[in-house]
Amino acid sequence: MKQPATDNDFINETLPIFISEAQEQIESFEQLLLQLEDAPQDRELLDALFRCAHTVKGSAGIFGLEAVVAFTHHVETLLDRLREGQVALTPELSTLLLQGNDEIRNLVNAAKDPGQDEDAVVAWNRDALVTRLQAASGSRPASAAAKADTPADTAEAASPTQRWQLNVRFGADTFRNGMDPGAILGYLRGLGTVSELQCASAAVPPLDRIDPESCHLHFTFALDTAASQGEIEAAFTFVRDDCELQITPPTRALDKQGAQRAAPATSKPAAADDNRYIRVHADRLDAVINLLGELVIAGAGAALMARQTKQRGLIEANLQMARLIEEIRNGTLQLRMVPIGETFSRFRRVVRDTASELGKDVALDITGGETEMDKSVVERIADPLMHLVRNALDHGLEPPAERIAAGKPAQGRLTLSARHESGVIAIHIEDDGRGIHRQKVLQRAWDRGLVERGVVPPDKDILNLIFEAGFSTAEKVTNLSGRGVGMDVVRRNIQALRGSVTLHSVEGQGSRIEIRLPLTLAIIDGFLIGVGNSRFIFPLDAVVEVIESRANTAAGEPDARGRSVVELRGQMLPVVNLRTLYALESAEPERHSVVVLQAGGCRFGVRVDQLLGQHQTVIKPLGHLFGSLRGMSGSSILGNGEVALIFDVNALGQLAADAPGRVAAATVPAVPAVTPVATKNQNHAVTAEGSRS
Amino acid sequence: MNPAHPRTLPAELTIYTVAELHPQWQRWLADTGDNATATPQADDRCTLDAADVEQADAAGVQLLLSLSAALEAQGRGLHLHAPSAALLAACEALGLADWAARLQATEETA
Repeated sequence: MKQPATDNDFINETLPIFISEAQEQIESFEQLLLQLEDAPQDRELLDALFRCAHTVKGSAGIFGLEAVVAFTHHVETLLDRLREGQVALTPELSTLLLQGNDEIRNLVNAAKDPGQDEDAVVAWNRDALVTRLQAASGSRPASAAAKADTPADTAEAASPTQRWQLNVRFGADTFRNGMDPGAILGYLRGLGTVSELQCASAAVPPLDRIDPESCHLHFTFALDTAASQGEIEAAFTFVRDDCELQITPPTRALDKQGAQRAAPATSKPAAADDNRYIRVHADRLDAVINLLGELVIAGAGAALMARQTKQRGLIEANLQMARLIEEIRNGTLQLRMVPIGETFSRFRRVVRDTASELGKDVALDITGGETEMDKSVVERIADPLMHLVRNALDHGLEPPAERIAAGKPAQGRLTLSARHESGVIAIHIEDDGRGIHRQKVLQRAWDRGLVERGVVPPDKDILNLIFEAGFSTAEKVTNLSGRGVGMDVVRRNIQALRGSVTLHSVEGQGSRIEIRLPLTLAIIDGFLIGVGNSRFIFPLDAVVEVIESRANTAAGEPDARGRSVVELRGQMLPVVNLRTLYALESAEPERHSVVVLQAGGCRFGVRVDQLLGQHQTVIKPLGHLFGSLRGMSGSSILGNGEVALIFDVNALGQLAADAPGRVAAATVPAVPAVTPVATKNQNHAVTAEGSRS
Repeated sequence: MNPAHPRTLPAELTIYTVAELHPQWQRWLADTGDNATATPQADDRCTLDAADVEQADAAGVQLLLSLSAALEAQGRGLHLHAPSAALLAACEALGLADWAARLQATEETA
């Protein structure tokens, strides 16, 4: 296909697209290769792997990125040998391919800055890699870089020419995808001799019915060539997903492998229609979600006014609108959801490389990869997760000898799992390694002055010491972990996402890290309650039930911080009185209710005055002024313009569960009086009028 | 339309131009259709002057195929007058050299 002379503007606009798509191919390459290690004969994986490299090489060629093309060509050659069965996939070869892929990644990233000069060491390393790739392919090292579109240069003797029969029906979108069947046929002519070429012209619809930009061309022909089936198929790489291709190998050499290869070649690629995607700029999506948030608030305002008019028709109409808005809300938030499996898959490589570096044998299990999370949360959780995985590999799991001595199987097990759990995502990292050695941790804490020497805190707190800054019991500081800058940063990053992290461990058996993250950062279903004149919201997912209490039925007097206990179906339920906790000034009403909440495995009750029902809650961040406020995770604007504060149920639960005296008064600041600011698209909830302590 | 002044194919007969050409050709087909029935001695083949074609690709050749099919359905044929080298090359690349030759043939040898 002849390209018109490239315009600088064209390149500048489309280069980022190439980079992003190439990066996807590169990631895919790594995943496929790791899968291939477990199933080295899988033809589909081999073909898919080849296509990744081939696509990157082809696209890079269009942009004139010679370095990428030249290097990728060597990887592609090796992959071709691999899928033809001429070389076997050994762990060493696999590692070499992974390194090759890494180099392709570096080259693609370097292409973002075309002007940059290259480091001599980097270039030398690349040449060394090329030599190894060529050695593995069995070809003589070539002094010049190979050109983009010639078939792989090979040191093998030329195979004899064979006649192949081809039958190809190009798909309707061929032209729209920028492909020209004429050019593909021309390429095939470059591989050999095309004869008996027939075009099924009768299949072309007449002028009044045809869509001129759809392709209706169907060809049959014979090809005499020395090329391999793989090389012939390579001609169709860019139309592969959209055409029906049948390649009949030469009749005399129809061996079993040939028949196997013919089968995948004739199958129409399945699920081509299921994977229709549109590329959308993330900022546009954020803008839409913002507007949607405003819509929810405006809708609530309208509904409120409608109720006041007491006109049935109007109220019904508003209810209908609210339903529709909720559906749009759910749909739009879905757009931002990505499965966490993509992030998890990246860890396969890390585990593989790190385990072998450390001389440990580790199997990685991933479950719940299809669990979806908000895209921005996934991006921000990746690094903390990586650190925790590395930690487990480094400190948690023992070397094989030690494991056997302890009566465990030599292969260690690391499990990454994710699942939805009452409005949050729970991510677990579990290993069957040494577990946390309490005494060591305690000793270190004493040494570092984190805990008063001789004091033995409860077990849960000993484990949490690991998250303190500057702490590390590692005897050796490896370049992976142990420098003591890790765990506290991990916890901080997770908390910045309004999540929480806890550690569970049994010495000698293993450890489990549990991370909880909110499902979304934007809009949630809330349960609105009132205490005096103040309004608060609980995430609906955390609400278990509501108990209507008659006055003074609490069993036991509330303590100074307003905590008491209530009996619920034979079990004791700690109850927090918000009025006392936050020093809200207003008269205690005759009737009150207790909302039972569930947080992190424990249940507790919150005493409130009024139950105000379900409320679609658009979460607005609290301003900087409230940065240190614990117990609140955001604010929301009600239909009447008032502001309601959204509870951080976990933090509240901790307050309910903590023994008196442990928590200093300073960590529970009083809720400042809030004044709604009457501007339309406010990003911050309020300005504080003054705080009461 | 007078067969003495045949329709001329544009310089570019490619994916970039087929969307524009399609409605034009449809109108031409409708017009010449009416005229053909009006004049008994009219040439029963429609002539396209193809000397000016400088670029042709599979999409363009496909549209010609489509036009030819439509004319056949009307009982008429397509005649390509003086097809350029570029058009012939494109036809040949797609295995349609014989078809192009047939369309090129003048009345006597048809």
